[in-house]
Amino acid sequence: MITVKNVTKQFGKTQAVNDVSFTAQKGEIIGFLGPNGAGKTTTMRLILGLIRPTQGEVLVNRLDPLAHRMETLQHIGYLPENNPLYGEMKVREYLSFVAEIKGVSNEEDVSTVIGQVDISEKAQAKIEELSRGYRQRVGLAAALLGNPHILILDEPTSGLDPIEQEKIKNLIKKTAKNKIIIFSTHILSEVEDIATRLVIVSRGTVVYDGDKPKRKGGVEKLFKKLVV
Amino acid sequence: MKSLLKKELSFYLNNPLGYIVIILFAVFANFMFVKDIFVVGSASMRPFFDILPWLLMIFIPALTMRMISEEKRTNTMEVLLSLPVSETQIVVSKFIAVWILTLIGFVLTLGLPISMYVLTGQVGGRIYLPEVFVGYLGELLLAASFIAISLFYSSLTKNQILAFLASVITIFFLIIFSTDFVAGVLPPVLQSVLNYLSPIVQLSNFVKGVIDIRSIFYFLSFTALFLFLTVVDLERRN
Repeated sequence: MITVKNVTKQFGKTQAVNDVSFTAQKGEIIGFLGPNGAGKTTTMRLILGLIRPTQGEVLVNRLDPLAHRMETLQHIGYLPENNPLYGEMKVREYLSFVAEIKGVSNEEDVSTVIGQVDISEKAQAKIEELSRGYRQRVGLAAALLGNPHILILDEPTSGLDPIEQEKIKNLIKKTAKNKIIIFSTHILSEVEDIATRLVIVSRGTVVYDGDKPKRKGGVEKLFKKLVV
Repeated sequence: MKSLLKKELSFYLNNPLGYIVIILFAVFANFMFVKDIFVVGSASMRPFFDILPWLLMIFIPALTMRMISEEKRTNTMEVLLSLPVSETQIVVSKFIAVWILTLIGFVLTLGLPISMYVLTGQVGGRIYLPEVFVGYLGELLLAASFIAISLFYSSLTKNQILAFLASVITIFFLIIFSTDFVAGVLPPVLQSVLNYLSPIVQLSNFVKGVIDIRSIFYFLSFTALFLFLTVVDLERRN
């Protein structure tokens, strides 16, 4: 379970997140929506303990991710925005490296995630030589390693062509069982397809936290009404 | 930590940069000593150990400058910090990787004491090998403290060149603290403090073949201090 309680984050004079609260339970796929600079990435980084909240509290499985970094990160798979990777490494080498750090020393697990994200033919390729779509899949494979209970995906389909987007979407749906997935995106139709719940943020505050509208196009309408 | 160390080492060993820096170091170290060997007129490795800190002043920051700054610039540090690995493990693995590369550089200079041992044996006045080993031990401790300084600067900036320059300048001042030039300019009290702080003064006993516990403590605490400061910088969550 993830609890974000009255969290505020200030960078100098800029308030990136202002009194944000929400919870995420097992089995939920939360679509995290908001315009650029709304505070989506900052909130995700707060959940991971990568930054310290100015005020408020973040709990991951009832633990503070800053005070219990190692315990909480064992259960989280993270795909950061722009997906930074070690370009000089080969795909399998990189995934084995992440697996070792996560304590998943079994090469079979590496092969499993390689199969899951469908990058077997690029397993021996250097990451810097891969297309954006493949790189995104490598990042996702790294996040999936160790079968974490929580997946935090910051714009997992950004910059991908429609076919690649579809593949990533299906993969998220496939892996969602018994997990908490929080993913941010600008593509509203994507949220309609995958998410079970919506959290919409605007100017650092949560403007909507609830069920996804059932009607087709409902997410877009809701988003426009609250944000635009 | 083994996997982190493997990653750091494989970057340099699968990349021309690592080989270029290590080989250049070995070439300069060997050449600087050999060019004066017949001028000095005595069979001793001391001139070599006196030159090494000046070479390390350049080569260690060159190897270390990218280690954290590049990870911050490309944001791979965020990936690392989102994995269950501590900041201390990240810093220590990077430190050990550069220290091993420095060790490889030193191994490439072993031809000097070996050839000197053989040559001096032919004229009946062999160089004293334990003195040479202690000299290398001192240089390795000195290298450790230089690596720690360079890692610290690498953590402070996303700009590798800036990290390199800051490291070189800091090490340069630490080296010249012990020179007569500084002694002539500064008041005696300050001079004695700076003299103690200078790694060259601490190294001098090792160069003479003497293992000084106080100097070992100095190098270890110096190294630990800068590694600690680097960890603190990574632990900042602003």
